[in-house]
Amino acid sequence: MSQVKREERAAAPAAATSGGDDARGRWQELEALTERPGFQEFVGRELGVPLESLPPGSPERRRFLQLAGASLALAGVSGCRWEDDKLLPAAKRAPGMIPGETRAFATTMDLAGVGVGLRVTSADNRPIKVEGNPGHPSSLGAAGLFHQASILEMYDPDRSQGACRFGSGARVAETPAAADQALTEAFTAAKARGGAGVRVLSGYSSSVTVADLRRRFVAALPQAKWVEYEPIQDDAERAGAQLAFGKQHRTHYDFAKADVLVTLDADPMTAHPNSLAYARAIAARRDPDKGMSRVYVLESSFSGMSPIADHRLGLRAEHMKAVAAWLDAELSAKVGAGALGPAQPKPAAAFLGEGRVAKFLDAMAKDLAAAKGRSAIVAGAHLPAEVHAIVHRLNALLGNVGSAVTYTEIEERPDSVRSLEGLVAELNAGQVEWLLILGGNPVFDAPVDLAFPAALAKAKLSVHASLYEDETSRKCTLHVPLAHWLEAWGDTRAWDGTIAIAQPLIAPLYAARSVPELLAFLLGDADKDEAALVLLTGDKKLDGHAIVRRALAATLGDLRRWKRAVHDGFVPGTAYPRANPTLVQSRPLAFSGGELSGLGAANGALEVVLAADPKLYDGRFANNGWLVELPDPVTKACWDNVALVSPATAKALGVDDHALARVAVGGREVTIPVLVSPGQADGSVRLTLGWGRTDAGVIGGSREGLTPTFGTTVFDRIRGIQAPGVPSVGTDTFALRTKALLTFGGGGQVTPTGERRRVVGVQDFYSIDDLGKKGQEERAGQLLREAPLSEYQADPKFAAKRVHHPPLLSMWQPPVSYDGYKWGMTIDLNKCIGCSACMVACHAENNVPVVGREAVGRNREMHWIRIDRHYRGTAENPEIAYQPVACHHCENAPCEQVCPVGATVHSSEGLNDMVYNRCIGTRYCSNNCPYKVRRYNYFNFHLDLKEARNETLKMAFNPDVTVRFRGVMEKCSFCVQRIQKAKIKAKNARRTLRDGEVRSACQDTCPTDAIRFGDLNDAASRVKEAYGHARAYALLGELNNVPRLHYLARVRNPNPELV
Amino acid sequence: MAAVAQPGATTVVQQSAGGNPWAGPPEGENVFGMITQNVSRLTEAKPPRAWYVAFAIALALLTMFGLSLAYLFYTGIGVWGNMVPVAWCFDIVNFVFWVGIGHAGTLISAILYLLRQDWRTAINRAAEAMTIFAVVCAAIFPGIHIGRPWLPYWMFPIPNQMGMWPQFRSPLEWDVFAVGTYATVSLLFWYMGMIPDFATFRDRSTTKIRRIAYGIVAMGWRGSSRQWHRYERAYLLLAALATPLVLSVHSVVSFDFATSQLPGWHTTIFPPYFVAGAIFGGFAMVVTLLVPARQFFGLKYIITLRHIELMTKVILGTGMLVGYAYGMEFFIAWYSGSLYEGFTFINRLFGPYAWAYWTMIFCNVVAPQIFWSRKMRRNVWVAFAVGVIVNVGMWFERFVIIGTSLARDFLPSSWGYYVPTPTDYTTLGGSFGLFFTLFLLFCRYLPTVAMAEVKAIMPEAHVQHGHGGAH
Repeated sequence: MSQVKREERAAAPAAATSGGDDARGRWQELEALTERPGFQEFVGRELGVPLESLPPGSPERRRFLQLAGASLALAGVSGCRWEDDKLLPAAKRAPGMIPGETRAFATTMDLAGVGVGLRVTSADNRPIKVEGNPGHPSSLGAAGLFHQASILEMYDPDRSQGACRFGSGARVAETPAAADQALTEAFTAAKARGGAGVRVLSGYSSSVTVADLRRRFVAALPQAKWVEYEPIQDDAERAGAQLAFGKQHRTHYDFAKADVLVTLDADPMTAHPNSLAYARAIAARRDPDKGMSRVYVLESSFSGMSPIADHRLGLRAEHMKAVAAWLDAELSAKVGAGALGPAQPKPAAAFLGEGRVAKFLDAMAKDLAAAKGRSAIVAGAHLPAEVHAIVHRLNALLGNVGSAVTYTEIEERPDSVRSLEGLVAELNAGQVEWLLILGGNPVFDAPVDLAFPAALAKAKLSVHASLYEDETSRKCTLHVPLAHWLEAWGDTRAWDGTIAIAQPLIAPLYAARSVPELLAFLLGDADKDEAALVLLTGDKKLDGHAIVRRALAATLGDLRRWKRAVHDGFVPGTAYPRANPTLVQSRPLAFSGGELSGLGAANGALEVVLAADPKLYDGRFANNGWLVELPDPVTKACWDNVALVSPATAKALGVDDHALARVAVGGREVTIPVLVSPGQADGSVRLTLGWGRTDAGVIGGSREGLTPTFGTTVFDRIRGIQAPGVPSVGTDTFALRTKALLTFGGGGQVTPTGERRRVVGVQDFYSIDDLGKKGQEERAGQLLREAPLSEYQADPKFAAKRVHHPPLLSMWQPPVSYDGYKWGMTIDLNKCIGCSACMVACHAENNVPVVGREAVGRNREMHWIRIDRHYRGTAENPEIAYQPVACHHCENAPCEQVCPVGATVHSSEGLNDMVYNRCIGTRYCSNNCPYKVRRYNYFNFHLDLKEARNETLKMAFNPDVTVRFRGVMEKCSFCVQRIQKAKIKAKNARRTLRDGEVRSACQDTCPTDAIRFGDLNDAASRVKEAYGHARAYALLGELNNVPRLHYLARVRNPNPELV
Repeated sequence: MAAVAQPGATTVVQQSAGGNPWAGPPEGENVFGMITQNVSRLTEAKPPRAWYVAFAIALALLTMFGLSLAYLFYTGIGVWGNMVPVAWCFDIVNFVFWVGIGHAGTLISAILYLLRQDWRTAINRAAEAMTIFAVVCAAIFPGIHIGRPWLPYWMFPIPNQMGMWPQFRSPLEWDVFAVGTYATVSLLFWYMGMIPDFATFRDRSTTKIRRIAYGIVAMGWRGSSRQWHRYERAYLLLAALATPLVLSVHSVVSFDFATSQLPGWHTTIFPPYFVAGAIFGGFAMVVTLLVPARQFFGLKYIITLRHIELMTKVILGTGMLVGYAYGMEFFIAWYSGSLYEGFTFINRLFGPYAWAYWTMIFCNVVAPQIFWSRKMRRNVWVAFAVGVIVNVGMWFERFVIIGTSLARDFLPSSWGYYVPTPTDYTTLGGSFGLFFTLFLLFCRYLPTVAMAEVKAIMPEAHVQHGHGGAH
């Protein structure tokens, strides 16, 4: 425009006479402007060619108009994704909605057939945070890693965004209409055949809606078969119940009633479908002031139970069978088997003859017998059915059934692997016309000896509906996207059977259906009873909402009840009915292989354990940055999976940390780096599943030519663009998994390759230099303070006496008097199980970036709260303990004193605030922080957001928290945004905050309720109570930092016989 | 003080074919003239090929420095190996190293001047120049090591509409003033000392550009006795002003560490220990620079073996002071009874960074012991070699203090092992490029030796000698 102005100024005198313009050269009519000298020239410059040189109707001119018209028309196309009936202009504010104010909705997530009730925070209609639903029996307010990280999964740009075909190997995109048509045709054809040759393969689902549609589907296609396969399942547990009771029952524990708890390679606190509730219950019994329980943990590897254990015995998983048999024999003799029939004979196992094992088991058996009716024995889900059967007997023997142990009636479910095996046989026999795979990733996670991928190719039509275009999608003829659980209506049943309703938090980001919607679409109108629908929902449309309402009509037919259930997120009183099964007489066990061997195992006879990964589960979360970068609770390694071996085994095998080794079992092998964990049972090699994905995405690995998201430096970016794809993260251990070796098995061999592959982690691994190890041991007792219960009872204030120091004097006057609020936090170390839920909560709440493997390798991880792992004890009797460390908000903060620009300052409420805008990044504060909790943006860790494909990731951010730029320091803020929000609310109501109104993100999600946060000036607050507790101590308090984060020391309750 | 400008000393510089135009035997018709001649010809004659080669290398390194910084500014601090817990390493090691180098100059100029150590005159100009250039190198690092390098001015108390003010409790803030003051005073001191010599250059000028350029910087110096009187007074005052700065600047730099809580940093011995180390390293750098300079620039007759020997004695003495400080640190760590202090020092000896510690001990404590032998003290190449070794050692001293203390602090969970990146090395190497570029330009264009001062301590300058010698 300036160009025109200059021209017109030159032409001003002439224009003044033309009458169109005034004297100052302003034009009033368009003609006046176009007639000016210089205008044609200007247009020519703009268009590249002088306009007058183009004859009317010239091809260029037409082309120009065509393009202009087309671009105008296409500008509207970007909106086509939305279904028109969903597009609501916010001309009027929806009731209850205040812009900028977050709202919480109840919903639920199903994982492998068990639901957990959740509460999702929505900011301007975008879900940004997942927390537990306090009323839901499987959550009690806590949310696990997978639930919380689902937010990132939903916004993952690598999610499938449309249908596609992989017929000839190359990916061909398919329009939604074409995909729908293909599905409809397939269904119509199948219906004409009566469903012959139709197979549906799905994962486990607890959903009543899915069950309802499954019924309808099979009714419409009577010869169709529905097969369920889940790589991580409780089949052995169900088989155990079958063995013990003649019927599949579910076992439930009331740990509040268990004075003595024995776990046999079980981890009810972190690796159980009901772990959130169980963790709360077990941890509640670890209060030394209120009748502390005693916990015996027998396990093959450190687990969530290890930090809780009073006594821990490292035994291989294969030894648990003999232990169970021995316990049966011993306890039957001690308490009398009575009507339960004869006990198992004592097995002649070599390891049982070992002094320390015998001593341990003797003392434990005595304790169990003494606590008759007040104990519980839990067996790991992966142990053989016979072990479960014996444990049922043991609980009955000890009178626990009815108190700490109860049973419920559940729907019988066929064995997962056997079901899949049947399907594979049918596929191979060419009997399958159409295979519909709903979710799951069987190509990646089916037992390798089933050769599922090869069988899949034999289906005439294979359709995979899933969240990602994964390994399975690539082997199917058609892939259709699935909606995320946060985008769809649904329902789940908790471990105890309680029904919970899932409501969508956002319209599907991509044109995708949920599993119920897909099935309803296939069934079509024939399945629809419009009159009934209108009666139920007031509308004849069968959308996701109507499908769920229809399925739950029997329970929640009444609109008020339905609304209530949606609001609360769960339906009370819908738990599975209690069962009182009677024990079937057990047969003597037969032992084989290494089950009766000694404690050690020779190479070639090693036990290989294949466990679900604590972070990636079965691999479905492999593309989730929060989880991939989350350190493993035990090893603290991220971005890799490893083979864990004990120090003695490592020495015998000639491997050490980072050594690349071949782990062979059952004629198959994988090459994987080794880490040494003192908690491993000798002779047991632990591998976790779910890593080494080839079609996960930019994080987990992809064969596509994607750019790694973490190219943070110029060179990395160049490298990334050149790479043909993203390398897999970790090693695929499913390659070892067969029908026979689903969870663990003997005969393993470990051969060092001589190469090394550096595993990155957020803490030193087990093997460091002797001097460093000695230094760690020297200070361990001061950092993580602990005493046996007897010492605590004799001297409750033992923790404060662990460190001797001179009187603490300060150079400075206390700068603030803290008259108003005075924020503080306590963490009960007796309750922390290292599950890392708080770390993911912090990631989500505070927009903490994911930095990638290389940055973690350089100690540049950004977690605001970390969980320090302490290995303790002796080589024979190793222990593990956790200490979460966040910013301590010291009153005499060393960081504040050294900042040259005053970017980290103290608030009047005792918060150590970071002023990101003021920070210039000298990093001096980090150097002077004794806890090293400050995190520095060594790069612009959000550079990936500049890429167009990552647009959705921006939606996952918490709008109340600044996204930090490169070069500034950041750290835990005690969730200052939550404090401010609550304060504003209280101020508007003209009152002060009540205890519990402000909860930090880590506190909110802690399954064991180990974290307390609140106002220390409130004498009645829970945090004040803990702050003043005898066990409370300040970490490194001798530095006179006066931290506002206090720990409650650990107290163990050992059996005097074993001390 | 008669002999300043020597208009009579007009002997034409002989350009010996193929030889070094700067070296060669001393020229001039008398001793004063000889000095003028020898020093002036460095700026007047075309420099030898070696100078060009050296300058090209230095310039290449400087370019590398510039590229490294451009990459750093474009990408972020992550291009270095810094991390948590080692949030400072090469950046601050280089800063302290260069500040340390910058000590010898002012020490030689000011303290030795006040102590009437006349031998200083032969080397003080070069040493001062070295100081200035080292401080230039040093001052770059605090500016570039910050995460947002476009904002270092926030550390200065500049009144602004946002009401932002530096935080004066931070030792980094003290650094700003300590280094700033030191740089200012050193620069003034250096420049003032050069004024009479600039006048000499001006008066010897054969081209207009030289005459105008040196005329401007000579600020109208005529060598009148009134000017000399004022000059001497001012010089004395500046010397007195600079003297406490020699002690203060490195003391303040040491506060960066001493006032922190970190085991291995939190030590009261740091101020004297750092000052001793700085003098030690500074003298080593002077020797490193002057041995080749006197060799190639024909200054053997001005910078004599006696000077070299005296400097090696200072190196030996301060080296032992530094060695004592190393030992005392261990004693205090043990005596404090602090678990963390004790561990930090044992960890230095035998931990993952033991190689750095023992390199430092060899370079700083063992190597200078050779100077107990007079023969070695007077062997310029031994002096040169030890000078280089001590400089390496002093760099490692800062690395040991900063890197190894940070790497293993209180909580073992945050322990780490710092590994430098290629950019760390190019930045370090590049800073030497800056230093040597400046130094070579100095040799080429500025009076390398304080002619006026050297002449003043010549036997000929004294009346008795003049009379006795003449008859």
